[in-house]
Amino acid sequence: MTTHDYIDLAGGQVGETRNGLTLAAIAPEKLADACALLSENGLPLSLLYATDDRETDGSFGVHVAFALDEAHGWLMLSAKLPEDAPRYPSVTAKVVAAHWYERYAMDMFGIVAEGHPDPRRLVHHENVPEGTHPLRKDFAWNTKLAHADVPYPMHHVEGEGVYEIPVGPIHAGVIEPGHFRFNVAGERIITLEGKLFFTHKGVEKLLEGKTPTEALPFIERLSGDMSVSNALAFCQAVESIAGCRVPERAEASRSLLCELERVSMHMHDLANIAGNGTGYTVMAANGFRIKERLVRLSAKLFGNRFWRGAIVPGGLAADLKDEALREIALVIKEADAEMRSFLAMCLSSDGERERLETTGVLSREGALALGAKGLPARASGIGRDVRLTHPYAAYAAFRPTLVEERSGDVYARFIARVRELEDSSRLIAELTATMPAGPIRAECHAKDGIALGAVESWRGEILCALRIKSGRIDRCMPRDPSFCNWALFGEIGPGNIVPDFPLCNKSLDLSYSGTDM
Amino acid sequence: MTPILLTVIQGAVILALAPFATGLVRWCKARLQGRHGASPLLPYVTYATLLRKEMVISPTVSWVFRLAPYAVLASTALVALLLPLTSVDGALSASGDFIVVAGLLALGAVFLVLGGLDPGSAFGGMGASREMTLVALVEPSIIAVFAAFAVTSGSGTVAKMLSVTGMGLLRHPGLLLSLIAFVFVALSENARYPVDNPATHLELTMVHEAMVLEYSGPYLAMLEYASSLKLTLFAILFANIIIPMPLMTVDSGVSAMLMIIASTVFKLCAAMGLLALLESSMAKMRFYRMQEYMTIAFLTALAGLILALA
Repeated sequence: MTTHDYIDLAGGQVGETRNGLTLAAIAPEKLADACALLSENGLPLSLLYATDDRETDGSFGVHVAFALDEAHGWLMLSAKLPEDAPRYPSVTAKVVAAHWYERYAMDMFGIVAEGHPDPRRLVHHENVPEGTHPLRKDFAWNTKLAHADVPYPMHHVEGEGVYEIPVGPIHAGVIEPGHFRFNVAGERIITLEGKLFFTHKGVEKLLEGKTPTEALPFIERLSGDMSVSNALAFCQAVESIAGCRVPERAEASRSLLCELERVSMHMHDLANIAGNGTGYTVMAANGFRIKERLVRLSAKLFGNRFWRGAIVPGGLAADLKDEALREIALVIKEADAEMRSFLAMCLSSDGERERLETTGVLSREGALALGAKGLPARASGIGRDVRLTHPYAAYAAFRPTLVEERSGDVYARFIARVRELEDSSRLIAELTATMPAGPIRAECHAKDGIALGAVESWRGEILCALRIKSGRIDRCMPRDPSFCNWALFGEIGPGNIVPDFPLCNKSLDLSYSGTDM
Repeated sequence: MTPILLTVIQGAVILALAPFATGLVRWCKARLQGRHGASPLLPYVTYATLLRKEMVISPTVSWVFRLAPYAVLASTALVALLLPLTSVDGALSASGDFIVVAGLLALGAVFLVLGGLDPGSAFGGMGASREMTLVALVEPSIIAVFAAFAVTSGSGTVAKMLSVTGMGLLRHPGLLLSLIAFVFVALSENARYPVDNPATHLELTMVHEAMVLEYSGPYLAMLEYASSLKLTLFAILFANIIIPMPLMTVDSGVSAMLMIIASTVFKLCAAMGLLALLESSMAKMRFYRMQEYMTIAFLTALAGLILALA
């Protein structure tokens, strides 16, 4: 089917197409049915976000993006809701993957998804008064809220021998705040639910009214371990609107940086899963040591440990000279070889395999229904990788290998990381050896328009929806893959025993900060 | 030397060495992982610091919470005096019947569990339920292990059992099985791998650490010290069973005493080195595999007992 066939199917009105993003208008009452039809036809619901357009046309907007993998494009359905009654039939009632997005829009915009199966608060905790909708344009970013006590009920199971374990938001280790509620019978988990959004930073609000250049530092700091990917997704959206062409050398360097970030974080995760998750301590000590080499390489090349500051709209801020490329190639070669020897040792340990296998199984159906993204989805047999479906930077020339596992357990996610690590090391070797010559930055003047920036970070698909008006950001939603994957806990947890939960958690390694913009 | 003096010396040596044992195993593990590791003497500083700290105690606790650290430390210290660790002729060694030893260990475990349950926090209860599961499974193995030694040596006191250890083990090969079971039991009793992770920061996987989570300051120091003490006495007892070196008797002189204290330190170092090697080379076991581990321990202990009876 072509893109227009899909729009006809959905009952929408075809709008403009620009850089692979096709816009279509749709009536609010038809939105849920349209999403259900597209979803049934195999298009993954990739993003749902709201906008406050009351100043321009007196409406609120609800936008749903679907990935058109075969056409390497995106389809965005937009519905306009009247400002005095911003309500529409819930998409979640038909497509489960929309559920957090709609709760998010209800909290942040006061847009009601009628018939949402779980219309509880998401971002707002007990202390936020009713009727607070921070992303509406008439809400000042520095508003001081009164303290309220609105109920925030969590799932609760009753029965003989069933008890609740509240965990967090403050944990025994140095991690971000998150509250988890277990309902257990003995050690066996019956239900598991998370409560996040303890450290809301208000980045989305702060981005509004800024120029893309002013906004970039905020985007880079959304989630420290995904600086490159977030910056790239944002810059791609800016460049798509401006219509500027990024030079070849900058594109290749961007791919290189993405892969360096992937290698660093996969090493971290492998060490964390095997080392801290199962207590195979040798892996933790050595994995973190090897990862530290990469982090220090970033500190040497960019003056910070997170590969920050390199990617800017139009290309790169500074060139990676041949000397730097040689050093990157050398460090990666050594680190990869060393990591492989430890991984070989780790994977030959029966005790270790026993802990990872059959733990925290995410079924393919569950992953599909909840709209899982990235590595956890690939480990459950959903072979999607934005680098292949929507090639960006230099990935059309330097093709990654699709890594897919079927069993969906912690072991599958572990092995998927091992395989991606190998593939990224190969890509880095190729990129450093055959880096094209030429300029590194093109002129990129902000224009007005709408665009989606898509990047496959090491966690999964980042979608950065951006709308620029008069050269300034009107709305920016940088959607972290964790936002889609947090809900997977409810699917993965039940059936496991409580002591295996940290292992499941580490195998997903989701970002609190990236979700809690 | 008088028996009283022997017991006092044993108590002093073991009590003094206990924090070193904990520090040493941590240091060895760090070395095996390729880290520098903190000084093995760090626990002395840690416990001293804890003793000076303020205690934060939940207002919901009863007297049980306050009694538990004393009961746990006292029962462990008493076991340290009963067992033949540096001397076989101590004043209390005649009372060191293995049933008494097993009972004292269980008493400590029960109070630890009660202390974990008392504040009513989720983790304490979780740790307590896990600990009781383990204690119930490990208790028969302890009895069977010591019974095998008792049958072979013809005596119920642990001090007399040492007559069949060392080279004596070769004459009673069935006891090797009991010795293996003893290692299983000792790892479980001391909350070590593969049963429990003594270094975990993951509140959901803890057993021992979950029970002491609500304790702070001097009470925490007492509980931590008690677990160091337990680790030390199991390690030295294990070493005394396999290493045929004479222990202090009433006839020993000062030079023999110094020799034996030095050899005790050596035994402890060797045992902690082995423990660190074991813990660095394996992952922690899944909690619901624990009954398999305990079954192996019990069947091995039982086989040792049957061979001893045969």
